Parts: sequence; structure tokens; C-alpha cells
Amino acid sequence: MSGMHLSSEFFELIKAIGESKSKQEEDRIIAKEVATLKRKLESGSAGGGGGGGGAGGGGIGIGGPSLGYIPGAPMLPGASGAAGGNALNTNKKKAREFLVRVLYVEMLGHDGSFGYIKAVELAASQSIIHKRTGYLVCSCCLSPEHEFRFMLVNQMQRDLISSNLLECCGALIAVTNLITSDLVGTVSTQVMGLLEHTAETVRKKAIIALHRLHQLAPDIVTKQEVTEKVRKLLCDRDPAVMGSTLNVIETLARVDVQPFKDLVPSLISILKQICERRLPSEYDYHRIPAPWMQMKIVRILSVIGKNDMACSEGMYEILGECLRKAEEAGINASNAIVYECIRCITNIYPNPVLLDAAGASISRFLSSRVQNLRYLGVTGLASIVERHPKYAADHQLAVIECLEDRDETLLRKTLDLLYRMTNPVNVVFITDRLLHFLRGSTDPYLKSDLTTKICNIAERYAPNNAWYVQTITELFRIAGDLVDPVVATNLMSLIAEGTGNEDDDEEADMVLRKQAVELYVNLLSNPPNRMPRVLVETLAWVLGEYGYLSSVMPLDAIIDGMCQLLQSGSTARLGGGSPSTRRLILSAIMKMVAQYGSCPAAAAKVIDDYTKSSDPDAQKRCLEFQAILTQSPQLLVEVFPVDASLEDVEVDINLSFLDGLVSEAISNGARTYQKQEDDEDDYVNAVATQTASAFKMTPYEKPSEKAYGHGAMHGMGSSTMGPGGAANVALPPGNPSGAGSMPTVSSPTNQLTNPGEPQLVLRNVANVWGKQATPVAVQPAPAPFASSVSTFANSTTAPAPAGYGGFGSSTPAAAPPVAPVKTAEQLEKERLAAALFGGISGAPPPPSQPASYRPSAIASPQLHQTISGPVKSDVRSAPTPAPAPVAPPPEVDLLGFDMDTSTTTVSHTSSVDMFAPMPMVNEPSHAPPVAAPSPKPAAPPPAPADPFAAAGLLDGFADSAPLQPISDALDSAKFEFGGSPIAPLTINTPQFGQRWGQCPSTHPISVASSTRSNTLSKFMELCVRAGLHKVEEIAATNEGIAACMAGGGSSVALVHGKISPLPGGASSRVDVTVKSSDPQLGLSLSMYLQNMIR
Amino acid sequence: MIKGIVIVNNSGKPRLTKFYQNVSGEDRQQSVIRRIFQQVSTRPDNFCNYLEGSVPEWGENIKLIYRHYATLYFVFAVDSQESDLGILDLIQVFVEALDKRFENVCELDLIFHSDRVHYILDEIVMGGMVLETNINSILQAIHDQEKMHTDSMRKAGPSDSLDAISTKLGAGRNW
Repeated sequence: MSGMHLSSEFFELIKAIGESKSKQEEDRIIAKEVATLKRKLESGSAGGGGGGGGAGGGGIGIGGPSLGYIPGAPMLPGASGAAGGNALNTNKKKAREFLVRVLYVEMLGHDGSFGYIKAVELAASQSIIHKRTGYLVCSCCLSPEHEFRFMLVNQMQRDLISSNLLECCGALIAVTNLITSDLVGTVSTQVMGLLEHTAETVRKKAIIALHRLHQLAPDIVTKQEVTEKVRKLLCDRDPAVMGSTLNVIETLARVDVQPFKDLVPSLISILKQICERRLPSEYDYHRIPAPWMQMKIVRILSVIGKNDMACSEGMYEILGECLRKAEEAGINASNAIVYECIRCITNIYPNPVLLDAAGASISRFLSSRVQNLRYLGVTGLASIVERHPKYAADHQLAVIECLEDRDETLLRKTLDLLYRMTNPVNVVFITDRLLHFLRGSTDPYLKSDLTTKICNIAERYAPNNAWYVQTITELFRIAGDLVDPVVATNLMSLIAEGTGNEDDDEEADMVLRKQAVELYVNLLSNPPNRMPRVLVETLAWVLGEYGYLSSVMPLDAIIDGMCQLLQSGSTARLGGGSPSTRRLILSAIMKMVAQYGSCPAAAAKVIDDYTKSSDPDAQKRCLEFQAILTQSPQLLVEVFPVDASLEDVEVDINLSFLDGLVSEAISNGARTYQKQEDDEDDYVNAVATQTASAFKMTPYEKPSEKAYGHGAMHGMGSSTMGPGGAANVALPPGNPSGAGSMPTVSSPTNQLTNPGEPQLVLRNVANVWGKQATPVAVQPAPAPFASSVSTFANSTTAPAPAGYGGFGSSTPAAAPPVAPVKTAEQLEKERLAAALFGGISGAPPPPSQPASYRPSAIASPQLHQTISGPVKSDVRSAPTPAPAPVAPPPEVDLLGFDMDTSTTTVSHTSSVDMFAPMPMVNEPSHAPPVAAPSPKPAAPPPAPADPFAAAGLLDGFADSAPLQPISDALDSAKFEFGGSPIAPLTINTPQFGQRWGQCPSTHPISVASSTRSNTLSKFMELCVRAGLHKVEEIAATNEGIAACMAGGGSSVALVHGKISPLPGGASSRVDVTVKSSDPQLGLSLSMYLQNMIR
Repeated sequence: MIKGIVIVNNSGKPRLTKFYQNVSGEDRQQSVIRRIFQQVSTRPDNFCNYLEGSVPEWGENIKLIYRHYATLYFVFAVDSQESDLGILDLIQVFVEALDKRFENVCELDLIFHSDRVHYILDEIVMGGMVLETNINSILQAIHDQEKMHTDSMRKAGPSDSLDAISTKLGAGRNW
């Protein structure tokens, strides 16, 4: 390698930095280095000035003031050229090292701007390395607004049209890094021209540069232009150019997929060629043909195929092939392709065969010991379970193991997976897990993400209200700062309204309130050191409203506790201790005092203290409360009505209650009130004329944002408190009503002058202001989805107690990895898995919530009903009783879930079809769901009914088959497939042998026969009766062969049977092998025969 | 796209930084580097090579994909478009290219020849997109460039003898 042109100074510098112990020391060293470099620049350029001419040298000498230098910029190449010779060469070399040092200084975070000018200068150098160093330092160090960028444009333009391809490349890279949106026009033509360059290395860079220009200035380099060029370069003769073009296609397609839809055949053809190793072997990476190109194409296909059935169908074949080939290699690069295929398969229009293949790859990843692959496995599983939940069931233990992994990345992915597979059965377990990780996490991003997720699943799937209240409270405690305030509103409205059912189960609501109060009382008696604001405020509201329900602590103790909380001086416990929080606590204390009936000393003291508060609102509340308490304590109950947060506020807008006062005043000689309409008009007119009279030329200023903001802030308190706000409206002035009482703020004089009749004034004002006062009494229409959710929850909850029953069918499939003797640890894991995977196989996520679900919750109380809908899916409130687990209720079918997994043992392969709601795109078009009745291979002995007599006869299944005696079944037992009987396939033994090898699917069975088929002839007779053609019967070996076809000859099935008499009895063992061109036919026939023989 | 590439040593000193999505301001760039180092350095080598989370300067949903070689972390910050395992292999290609170019690359090479390291990187990633993954093409481009440079130097005059320091450097290679 050439040229270690480095000075000992630089070496010493790096050594010193490497050895420095602290940031301060490092800063000192760098400061010294900066000084050295500045000195060098001055002396170096002075030397250069000696060789090249005074003007240039002087310019550099000034250094800092770039303005003085700019006029000289175009001169640079000339100047350096003129200097020439050995001296300059040395100088350039030194200059390069100088710049590398500047780069180093900048990388450590120090200012190297004094050297930028040298970089600009060097970019004009003759030598390619020097030139690139110049460009490099500029692109790494210059901020986008830096004016030196302009100085480089000229140079870039020149280099772009250089005859030297390396200079072109250097300039293209510089263009990508340095051009800003306003400069795009200066180089776009040249870059466009380079797309036609003879060298591939230039073309592949030019397309990326062009795309960059398009991103910067889509009006100059239009999408149409880029798209057109990209389509051309995709077919470039050089694969490298195609490879870099794929990048651009992917990025463009993610923005707008339409122009690329028709590229699917081309992309597929390219991918096919790569898979078939038609590219030169130099593109191989560890013997995988061009893995990055494969990945990119698969990714592009994934973008194009999303939500597009027609496009997706074209991809299935190549995706399958690509996946299969990559699976064979099993190294890192091929796994990368496999993973992209998985992502693509789950993203495009689904195909069951590919999904199964992807599922198999995912399980290979999950069971890997390589951490990276496990990560991809979990990610892949997360992408597949949302739409195809059944795949989760196969990997329970693997997922549990990932949950216990110490690697946080893996853990996070697994949490994401859990979130996606949540259903009403496992929600409790999953929420518990998520809360657990939330507690231990410190990363703000993870915390906020988890918080949102917990809120979502708790609202969607909560099994009952008590659980919901408890969970959300715990969430407030752990991460209250990150919770959306709406959640608190929802929680409080749930507590206030309860289930919100028409038949108003008041008792249940009271139980819920009681539970909530006890929860918060416990929190109050052992307050954590830090309580988020939302927790404190909810606590204050709940205890303030329902503190009297507490059975664990007497009310006066709660009041004391609240006072302590308020007085403790720990702002951390007060959620930051903002005035509005304090007001809320004061309100709560006052409400509880009203409930208690007398004022405990602690409360009196607190209230007295706050009459001297610097917060005018709190002060006013306390003063008014004191006034009520001392002057007319009987008013307390009226002022603070118990459990009235939802009561409607009657408002007398005519102020009729003042009539007495008015008439009294009139009788005392006061003048009657005259409406001043005319005057008012005059006044308005006067203002209008004034406005028109050329005094005011400009429009009035808009009310400033600040003013609104302030109002909003006030409002915030009330909206946070939701129904609390509504309650407050009902309260007279001087009442504590939290931040909700905007009216009290708006008309303080009024209230202060009328302390005697507080409620009157306030009620009116409240009416004017309180939007919370919208008629609460109006019963909301039952939320449309609430009822369906509750039935849903019921039906799916049923299998839960059965442990594994929840995912029934798949348990056996997942069992093999478990050692026969289970350790306690394994059992524990399985228990976890059972909790986790309950309901997975049968319960895809319910339909998403209506859009109006969240936002509307804030303002209008009646909408809270809707909100509490999902959480009220409680057994108590559900209209239908929970069905017994064994007998799947009819609702299940209505919902389209297959829930009878708990009753039958389903063979794994066939379950695919049972669960697959999607059209079977790649399946031969032979059948209505053929396998549907088949997955009952072993009919229970007491009822040897023969479901397979009716295989394919779905309609007749229910009434005929189970009741038919066996012999009858035998007589009518022509095997049917796809709705029509099979036909005998008349072939001879050699033909049979030939076809035997061609049939892909094999289904061996081995049955101990009854007397019905204990001899060869009986067996053959059975076959013939079923509709098969007897090909040959070989008595010598007790073997027989038979053949049939179905679907008019589209598929064939071959049967080979061997009878081995069992010692000493009438029975014998029958070994049958069914081979078929269609796996479904083979499977059905083998099961049919199995039953018949038995 | 690839948002940026950071090579940082075990003690948190940056050895190469490249921002494909611009992060303006020295302070913010330094905070990116610090954040990245803090996140990767706490992870044992047997953990997976991915870190999801936040680099606020680049937005949310940024994934850090990294490899740890002896004293250095090679960290690529990418968005969700990039292939997880693909980038890991890309880092491998990058390191192999460095190793071929510098003959047993060590940390010092990255500092002394940071410009050359950048040129190699420029052949692999351009504007945040994967440009070339064929190691021979990458090295060929670098080779051509250096050959052209020496040719032009020779034309300009006999080049200076190697600085005495280069021998000294050889001694410091393992340092």
C-alpha cells in the first residue's frame, strides 16, 4: 500500500487522545491541535503564496472572512496549476494530511471550520485522491447552509463531464453528499447524461445520484423522469447497475407503487435468473447467488403485491422457489433471503401454501440457537400472527423462552409479538407481562410504546371492569406521565357510570366503585415515593367522589391521609405539585368532609392554610368553603351531592328564581329594568362607523395563540377529570370543584358578593359555560359493538379453564421438543404457554374499534358509554350465560371461528384447511372444503359412527352418518370425494407400478381389522365396494392393489394393501398404503379405508 | 435507507462517522455518537446484533445493526426498509474490504487513513443506499483510483521518500 504520508505530530496526537483520561483532558489536547493546525494553515499558505502569487496567499491568510475570499474562488484551479512543481506537490500532500486532521478534530466534536477553505481548494486539485479528500471533508463538515457549497458547484460541474471516469465517480459521490435543493438545477443535466456513460461504475452511481436530486427537488428532476430512467436501467447489460437501480425502485415504489406494477414480470424474471445462477459467479456471496439483489427484488415484490391479489398471484411461484433454494443453503446470507421472503409472504395477498412454508421457516429461526435468527423468528412470527393467529400456537415454548431472555432487543420484539397476539383469553397474562417489563424498563421509547400498548389491549379485551380499573391504576403508578389523559377520563367515567347498561345493575356498579376506592385507599396509605400527576388526580377524584364507600379505612382517616399527602411537601408525590393538582386534592377533601358530615381538624387546618395560598383559585375555594362551613353547614350536602358526577344539571335560563328579589326591589321603589336594545344598536353602529372612519386601516389583530393556549390549559384540568368536571358544574361557588369550574374563574366578583346564595349564581354561570352540562340524562344508544364483544368474550373465555384446551388441536404438534420427562421448569413454562396461547387458534383479533372510539370521549359524557363498552364484557352483564366448554355455542359459528377444537383431536395437516378462511389460490380447483369432515380420524369407540362414509357429503353429514349402523354404512359406502363418487381406474399391474412412483403424496395406515376385512378377498371386496378398481389380488403374499380416480380423472389414487393374520384369532392386521396425486384425496381415502377396515 | 454509519472503539471514541441523513450541528452529531455507543457497548457479544429504539436525530423506528470486532463497533443505523441480516453481511463486506486494503486492518488505520476508509465506504454505500456488494469490484475501484493518483504524482515529479514515521507506525499497529 502506498503512502503513509503522516507526520509524527498526528501520531502523537492520536496517542495522546487515546490515553486521555477525561473529556476535559481530551478537549485540551484538541484545542492545542486546533491551534497547531491554524498555525500550519497560515504558514503553509504563506509558503504557497510564495510559490503561487501574493493574492491567493493573502486570501488564505485572512482565513476566517470567507467573503473576502469568494471572488477568488474560480481562480483556484488556475492558481494551483500555475504554481506547479515539486514545492506544490509537497504542499498538497501536507494539505491532505492537514485535512485528515481537521476531519479527525471535527469527528471528536470540535470546530474545524478554519480548515474548510483548504478543502474547497483541494477539491480543485489535479490529483484524484487530493480532489476526493477535498470533496470528502466538505461533505462531512459543511452544514447544508454553508456558503462554501456554492463554491464547489463549479468544480462539480467540471468533474461531472470529465473524460476521466474516476473524476466522474468522485463528482457523483460529491453531488449526492453536497448538493442542496436550490442547487439541483446546476448539475441535473450532467448527472442525467452520465446515465449513458460507458463505464458501469459510473452508471450505477449516476442513478443513485439522480434519485437523490429527485428527492431534493422533485420539481426539477421529476418523478416521471426518474421512473423512466429507472425502468431503462433495470434492463442494463451490467448486473451491478441493475442492482443499484433496484434500490431506487424500492424507494420510489414505497412512495407510489402504481408506476411499477407492470414491472412485476420483469422483476420475477430477474429473480428467476439469479436463483438459477445465471449471473456471473463473481456476484456470488459465500456461494449464494447475488443475495442482496434477491433481497431487494423480494422487498420490491412485497411492496407491489400488498393488497393486490392479481400481482401477488404472479409472485407465488418464484417466491416459493426463492425461499426453497435459500432454505437449502442455511448460511447467514441465505437466511437473510429467507427472512425477506417471509416478510413478503405475510405482506402480499395470502397464499396458504406459501404461508405454511413461511411458518416452517419461522419455526426454524425460532428454534435456532443463534440469537440473530431467534430475533428474526420472533419478528417474523409477529408479522404473521396478526392475520393468521394459528401459527403462534406452534411456538409457545419458544416464545416463552424469548421472554426470559436477557437480551432486551429480543425481549422487546417478543413483547411486540405478545401485543399482537392478545385476545380475550390471554389478555390478563399478557398485560401482566407487559406491566412487568414496563416496571423494569428505563428507555423512554420503550416505556411510552409499552404504555400505549397496555392501554390498547386493556381497553379492547378487558375481561371485567374490576380488572380494568386495577390494571389502569397500576399503569398510572408505573408510567403515569406517559399515559394519554383520555385514559384517565375513561377510567373515571367507567367508575362513575359502571356498566352503563339499560337495566342498570346498580349493585355491580357499587361493587366496582368499592373495589376502586379500596385500591386507591391502599395507595394513599402506602404512597409510593413518586406519584405521577394522573395518578394523584385520579386518586383525588375517586376518593373524593366515593371515599364513603371505603370499608378498609374510615372516612376521616382517608381525609387525614389526603391532607398529609397535600401537606407532605413532597412534590414528587403530588405529580409535580402543580396548582391544579393541589386544587383537585382540596376538592376531594372538601367533598369528603361533606360526606363525613363534620370537618376533622387536619382538614380544617389544610383549608385554613390554603386560604392564604398564592394560588387565587385555591384560596377562593377555601375561603368559600370556610364560609359555608361556618355560616350554613347544612348547605354542604347540597353543595357536594353524593355520587352525582353524572347527574344532570337543571338550569333555569330565565333566572326565574330571581323574580322574588326583583319584585321586592321594585316594591321598594327601584326602577323596572328597561331593555336597552336601541342603545345597544347605536353603540354598535357607532363602533362600526368608527371602524369605517379611516382610523383603523388594518384588520384587527387576531386574538393571540397565547390567550387560547391559556384557556386550553384551564380547560385541560377539567377535561382530564372528565365526569369530575361534570360533577363540578353542579356545585355552587366556593365549592372545591377542581379545575373544572371555569365559571368560578370567569365571574369571581359575582360570587364573592353573593356568598349567601352561592348555588344560584353558579348554576347559571355553569349553564353558560359548562359544556359538560350537556344532557347526561339522555340514555345513549347501546354501543353497537359492545354486545357483540361481550358474547365474543364469553364464548372464547370458556375454554380457558381447560388449560391447554384453549389451543387444543395444536398442542400435540408442539409437544415433540419437550423431553418425555418434564422438569418443573418446563412445566412452569408450559403453564405460562397455556396462559399465553389460550384462545390463539380460534380467536383472531376482533374487528378494530370504530373510529369515533377515542377522540369523542373527551367532551360528551354520554359517549363514555361507548368507551366502557369493551370493558363491560363481563359475565354479569352479558346477555347470554357462558356456554359450557364442550358444546360450542352457536354464536361461535356466527363469528366464524372454529371453536370445536376442544372436542376433537385434529390432525395437524388437515387443520390448515379448517382454519384457512382465505381462498385457496394455489389449490387445485377440485373441491368444496374437502378435508373439513376428515379431521376425525379416530371416532370415539362408543359411537362407531362413520363420518367418512359421508366424506365430501357435507350436507348429509349431520342427519345420516352418525345414526347409521355399521352394516348399512358398508352397503352404501361408496367413497365420495369432492362431492361425487370416485370412479374405478381400469389399469393393469405394470401401469399401476408406473403410476405408483409418480404419485407425490403417501398415506400409510395400519389397522387391526375386524372380521369384516380379515382376509385379502374381503379387503379387496371392500375396495371395490368403495368404488375402486381391483387391479390385482396376489393370494401368495396376501397382497392386493386397487386404483381409482376422482374429479373426472384429474386426480388418481392407488391403494396397496397387505393382510397379516394375527396369531390365534379371527382378526388380522391390515397395512394399507394410499398413494395419490392429490394429497387431499389420498388423505380422505386413507382415512375412509381405515374406518371401513376397522 | 441507511441513515448513518458510526465506527466507535471500545472506549467510545469515534473512528469514523458518516451521516447519510444529515444531522446538523456538532453537538447533535456528538450526541448521536454517544447514544449509539451507550446502547451497543452495554450489550454482551452473545446478544443479537440488533437494537431497536430511538435515535431522535434520525427519527423513531431506527434500528441499529452492529458488529463488534476486537476493539471496534461497526454500527449501521437503518430504517425499517433495510434487511436485518443483509446489513450484517454488508458490514462484513466492508470489513473484509478494509482488511484487504490495509492488510490486517487495525484501529489506527482508520484514523490515519480516514479518507481512504471513506473512499472504500463510498464504493459500498452511496447516499444511504447499498451501491455495491461485490468485494472485487469495490477493491478494483479503490485500486484504480490509487494507481491514477501515483501515476499523476510520478508525472509531477519523484515522490518524497516515505516519512520516517511510517516505520514507527508499523510498531504501533497493535496499539
